Amino acid sequence: MTETRAEPFVVHTATFEGPLDQLLRLAQQGQVDLKVLPLAEIAAAYVAHARRAFDVEEATEHLWMLAALVELKARALLPQAPPVEETPAEPPGDLESLLEERLAQYRAFKDVTTALRALEAYQQRVFLHPAEEPEEPLLSGVALPDLFRAFQEVLARGRERGVEVPREGISVAERMTAVLALLVAAPEGVPFDALFPAGATRLEIVVTFLALLELIRLVRVRVRQEERFGAIRVFALAARGRGGGESG
Amino acid sequence: MIDPQIREIVNAVECVLLVSGEPVRLEQLADAVQAPTEAVAAALDVLHQEYAGRGLEIQTVAGGYQLGTRPTYAEAVRRYLGAAAREPLSQAALETLAIVAYRQPITRPEIEALRGVRSEHILERLEERRLIRVVGRKETVGRPMLYATTESFLRYFGLRDLADLPPLEAFAHLAATPDAGASPSAEALPSETGSPGDP
Repeated sequence: MTETRAEPFVVHTATFEGPLDQLLRLAQQGQVDLKVLPLAEIAAAYVAHARRAFDVEEATEHLWMLAALVELKARALLPQAPPVEETPAEPPGDLESLLEERLAQYRAFKDVTTALRALEAYQQRVFLHPAEEPEEPLLSGVALPDLFRAFQEVLARGRERGVEVPREGISVAERMTAVLALLVAAPEGVPFDALFPAGATRLEIVVTFLALLELIRLVRVRVRQEERFGAIRVFALAARGRGGGESG
Repeated sequence: MIDPQIREIVNAVECVLLVSGEPVRLEQLADAVQAPTEAVAAALDVLHQEYAGRGLEIQTVAGGYQLGTRPTYAEAVRRYLGAAAREPLSQAALETLAIVAYRQPITRPEIEALRGVRSEHILERLEERRLIRVVGRKETVGRPMLYATTESFLRYFGLRDLADLPPLEAFAHLAATPDAGASPSAEALPSETGSPGDP
């Protein structure tokens, strides 16, 4: 799957030429005029690129970066609200000393990380009884590409149905509730494709998949695949049983 | 010679710590071994001494006691478990975490004001790793969320409690020394690549 690494995605625009992460960094530093940056073109170019060489990890990263750019651009385009919070009651003349003080504080934090780093290094070499990480693996035996392939299969089926008449709006939150209800009712687990309502539109399929990913992230469900390319089953997890011990 | 009664408590405590795999509070130990807390505390002292030259050690972490392997033997344990070395936090994540740890509860705008860079993504990742959590909202414009560290944070760094953090003041005066060379420029967020190619 990942063999096709060879050709990295490069942004070509009138004002910028280079990798996407560099563009994002420059944008974050305000060194790119977002108002004229053709994001739609960049996104289209990326989609074309992804069609040729697809890698889930890379796509995840790029989608995140594109989304971050969209957000930055949106902010740049919006009229600026008057700065409300800015320096609460500081006398205006003190701006310089304020900045200096902030800088000193920031350096202290930066320096204290060396001490924290040492503690981290020590503790990372300490092992506790149940080989630690008591949580059951959330994706046991399932490689991300397999999950993605299963999703594509379901999506392809949705596509065959041709014309789509979007029903009333659906949300990820809604689909999370529905998926969870389905799983709770079936302690023996539910096959991956059964999570998607029969006759679901592509939008519903995509949103349901997002809901599933969100549930995995929130440790509410577990996904298991007994053998490579075998059926993928999804299980509900008890609402945060042991471990974690978060309350403090 | 150790009092045979204490000996019993020492052994029982040792067993509880072995199977726990996470910090056990003094009261929990006392409850488990059915002994007064003072006796358990004494037993813990004995255990501590007895483990001095051994492969395991007793740590005081997150308000409890835990029995863990000594870092010296981490390679042997890893080889056996077939486990890769754990990923340390990125510098940016550690910095952000430090700010939360010493200034908690703190909002994202406050963190960003200190770091000079947007920190939304990093905060999300720290939250996902359960090193920080939202503890409420600040009653100011926009009611921003307030972040604080978790118990997992204490465990991650092997700290007894927040007072056990390295004292920031020790670094503050160090930072106050004029140091014109060090540039204040903040690191970029997650990825760090080449230099800004001028458009």
